[in-house]
Amino acid sequence: MMIQFINQYPADEEFSYEKRLRLLRERKLAQTQEKVEKQGELNQDDYGLVVPPDYFQFQITPNHPDGKFYGYSGWTENYTRLLGEHPLYCDPLDAFVGRGFFFLIWLRGFGWHPDYPYDELQKAFDKYNIISGIGRDHHLNPDITMGMQLGWGGILQKLEHYRGTHTAEHYEFYDSEIAVVKAIITFLRRIAGQLAELALIERNPTLRLNLSEMADINLRMADGAPQTMREAIQWMCWFSFFSRLYNRGSAGGQLDQMLLPYYEHDIAAGIIDDDDARFYLGCLFFNDSRYYQLGGPDKDGNDTTNHLSYLILEAADMVNIACNLTVRVHDKTDPVFMRKAVGYLFSNKNGWPRFTGDRALVEGFMRCGFSRDLARRRLASGCHWMSIPGMEYTLNDVVKINIAKVFEVAYQEMAAGAEQSVDKLYELFTKHLKAAVKATTDGIAFHLKYQDKNEPELILNLLSHGPIEKGLDLTKGATFFNMCVDGSGMATIADSFAACEQRIEREKRLSFAELTELLQTNFAGVEGEYRRQMLQHSERFCQGESLGDAWAVKITELFTGLVRAANDEHPGLNFIPGWFSWANTIEFGKKVGATPNGRQAGEPINHGANPHPGFRRDGAVTAMANSIAAIQPGYGNTAPVQLELDPALGDTPESLDKLVSMVRTLLNSGNTLLNINIIDEDKILAAHEDPSKYPDLVVRVTGFTAYFSMLSKDFRQLVVDRILSKRSA
Amino acid sequence: MDGVITSIQRFSLNDGPGIRTTVFFKGCNLRCAWCHNPETFSLADDIMVDASKCIGCLHCVKVCPSGAQREIDGKHAFQRDLCTHCGACADVCFPGALEHTAKVMTCDDVMREVLQDKAYYLDSGGGVTLSGGEAMLQTDFAAEITAACHEHGIECAVETNLAYDLAPCEAVLRDFDLIMFDIKQMDSAQHKRWTGAGNETILANAKRMDGFARPMIARVPLIPGATDDMANLAATVDFLATLKNLRYLELLNFNPLGEAKYRCLALDNPFVTARPYSDQQMSDYQRALSGRGVEVRVG
Repeated sequence: MMIQFINQYPADEEFSYEKRLRLLRERKLAQTQEKVEKQGELNQDDYGLVVPPDYFQFQITPNHPDGKFYGYSGWTENYTRLLGEHPLYCDPLDAFVGRGFFFLIWLRGFGWHPDYPYDELQKAFDKYNIISGIGRDHHLNPDITMGMQLGWGGILQKLEHYRGTHTAEHYEFYDSEIAVVKAIITFLRRIAGQLAELALIERNPTLRLNLSEMADINLRMADGAPQTMREAIQWMCWFSFFSRLYNRGSAGGQLDQMLLPYYEHDIAAGIIDDDDARFYLGCLFFNDSRYYQLGGPDKDGNDTTNHLSYLILEAADMVNIACNLTVRVHDKTDPVFMRKAVGYLFSNKNGWPRFTGDRALVEGFMRCGFSRDLARRRLASGCHWMSIPGMEYTLNDVVKINIAKVFEVAYQEMAAGAEQSVDKLYELFTKHLKAAVKATTDGIAFHLKYQDKNEPELILNLLSHGPIEKGLDLTKGATFFNMCVDGSGMATIADSFAACEQRIEREKRLSFAELTELLQTNFAGVEGEYRRQMLQHSERFCQGESLGDAWAVKITELFTGLVRAANDEHPGLNFIPGWFSWANTIEFGKKVGATPNGRQAGEPINHGANPHPGFRRDGAVTAMANSIAAIQPGYGNTAPVQLELDPALGDTPESLDKLVSMVRTLLNSGNTLLNINIIDEDKILAAHEDPSKYPDLVVRVTGFTAYFSMLSKDFRQLVVDRILSKRSA
Repeated sequence: MDGVITSIQRFSLNDGPGIRTTVFFKGCNLRCAWCHNPETFSLADDIMVDASKCIGCLHCVKVCPSGAQREIDGKHAFQRDLCTHCGACADVCFPGALEHTAKVMTCDDVMREVLQDKAYYLDSGGGVTLSGGEAMLQTDFAAEITAACHEHGIECAVETNLAYDLAPCEAVLRDFDLIMFDIKQMDSAQHKRWTGAGNETILANAKRMDGFARPMIARVPLIPGATDDMANLAATVDFLATLKNLRYLELLNFNPLGEAKYRCLALDNPFVTARPYSDQQMSDYQRALSGRGVEVRVG
């Protein structure tokens, strides 16, 4: 059983790399359309997945009466059996194999082991609309370089070695991991055999040779360590596949450093030239939409950008699909590389690359007590997050507190009491935010205690420093526990506090009693709408030195202080605050009634650290960036700036220079992460009407890029609303 | 001192080099028929009315002292000739159907906004641009802002029409780091037809200003049927070629975005049906005008 595209072309058809990438891209776009038609809308990354063949129906084997499986034995049994049954996907145009169909976690379902209940915590999670992270996984960066140095055979030997140094209580860990790695090696040998069979069948000599080479490479990569660039990328493709197939995890690493030794080796040996390298890299991007960092400082602060960095950008330009590439901007960033990166962002309009600010990230992470060297090694790895390869357990971008909900709880308590004032509201907000942070951090500690009984990280353990050496799952054996705690809805709340202070206490245009009635009636009637507009046009976050900006800083200091204080309650854990909502803006918004900033009940909360649309008449990027820089939580995690820009802004060399300067200044002014969508507004409005017309239209939704056609209608509407709001300003 | 402006636009990328903040001065001595900023014509606070944003709350009627804002059959109406420009209506119109066109600001008010983007100016080689309307009609205010910018190490440029007595403005013009000026028509009668004034003063001032030894950029608006004939454009370039301090000439495409403002101000827009030139046409103009001794760019 396999999906293959053998003998699709005549024997005499000739293939250039450019042609192969173009044909692969066409197939990729057709697969995106097929995914939308068969699987519906997906508000997340693309992952390089394809629709599984009808004949492949994997059934999980439960090990619990609830019909799910848990723990080492359940995951090992199901995963190894899945590997045994998983069909090969092979495209003779491609330099690599390693495409997948789904994740085992999707078949099993997210969830928590019912034998470890947390009812009391759940009450707080419900009250404050907290996504707790209990039962969620990874969101960390594995050390792929270490994996490539060892190969699967080396990893197996390492496991067997450390098993011999531990007592029986760790055997469940080691035996599970050894079974998984053996299944991987067996799987790869089967794949190599199937590729060899396909090579015998293929009639086109170019494609036949390619299949034959892939068969050889895969046989060597079954237990060997990569020696060439093509072997290294094939190893990475399979690691992506194995970790995705297990539980979707995780991130990539610094691509222009991971592959550099192999590239330099091949060039020195005359094995490849730059055309080969670009082709291999292009095929890597088709394999998976994994996050990779480009450039950044070495341990001495010098720029690591190299020739391969340029080839990576050029390859991404050739395939021009959803590429999650992040350029790390620091004091010594190569200006030519920077300009090239910004140029591609504007010329391709596909949301890549994005940019991180080294200065604020490094200084912030050092504030947690880490060395500058470690801070520099903490790479851009996910939607909004950073991670040191192989050294952290993080739950990055998983745990979210809906602080708009926390505000609502506080407001309702104030409205029911005798004293009604901004001071009282803030006092109650502080009390409830403290309770929400406590429940969240207690929840993370609970997760770490029992997660190996629920869902051990059987794949990511293998490429981490600690688990194999200690015989413990990552949730207990990681080097560092830098636990991400994000707040969502900050602008909604800053604007709400500002509106109350300005309209009620300073201008005395209405009373708290009247505001309460407005919120309860969702601003009904003409007068309700008038007052809603009055509140909405108060001094807002991102206007620049406004009341909303002042409240945003105050709320950030409060939130950051509360999250950091939780470290005292949980020795060994380092909680790191951030402002981010990911794709939860809509769901969080649905849980919150009308708010004093004029937001109507059920409308989305603000996106990440961004203001609500329409924050300033001129929509000034600089005003927004300055305000977001001022509310960075400041401990090494991010509060991203998400920009939407018109493609015409970058259409001349002079204007491109201005935008390069904008990116550099924005990141040198305290910001941590910059995502930019180049919005071809008319195209997006047309695609909203009929998404199938534009299967290749990519937008950066939040931290991730996604095909616009794959977003749900709600999410498409959110992007469209941002455009319409700009047009009406 | 106080000045009257219409707006301040930060992250401005089309009003000079680098990233800039543009301060739009209110009041203009010309009436260019194609102007896309008609709200800057007069010094008075003309109210812009966008009926599509009106929610029918009638708060404006309650505060209007002159009866210009009125209720007819339960709906809002505006009788512009009764308006005394007090702005009380716009102050209470939170939905944004009524908007001020004038803001009285001090130099400190302007600088508070300007200084927030200083890092962007310095990195990009940008700064502040005084535009309008005509900034030189408020010479002292312009001088004060320019001096304040320089105190903070920020470059300051002006966009000016040169259609005024240069003598009282000379000192401040010499202070600008860059002077951008318009040449619209070389034929004075045509100039008068389209802008309300002949071009003699402008051309003489351009020559005289060249003696200030300040960097200059000339801007030529391409307006369908008004400025776009090759004879006029060629004569314009030949004139500009005589200026020693001119860096380059920038061709500005017709901007149709003023249409909504004309409607909101109840002004006739003679160019309501005009459309911008295509990118290809702009390139054609650029090529046709090159080789006459002045670098020609498309703005």
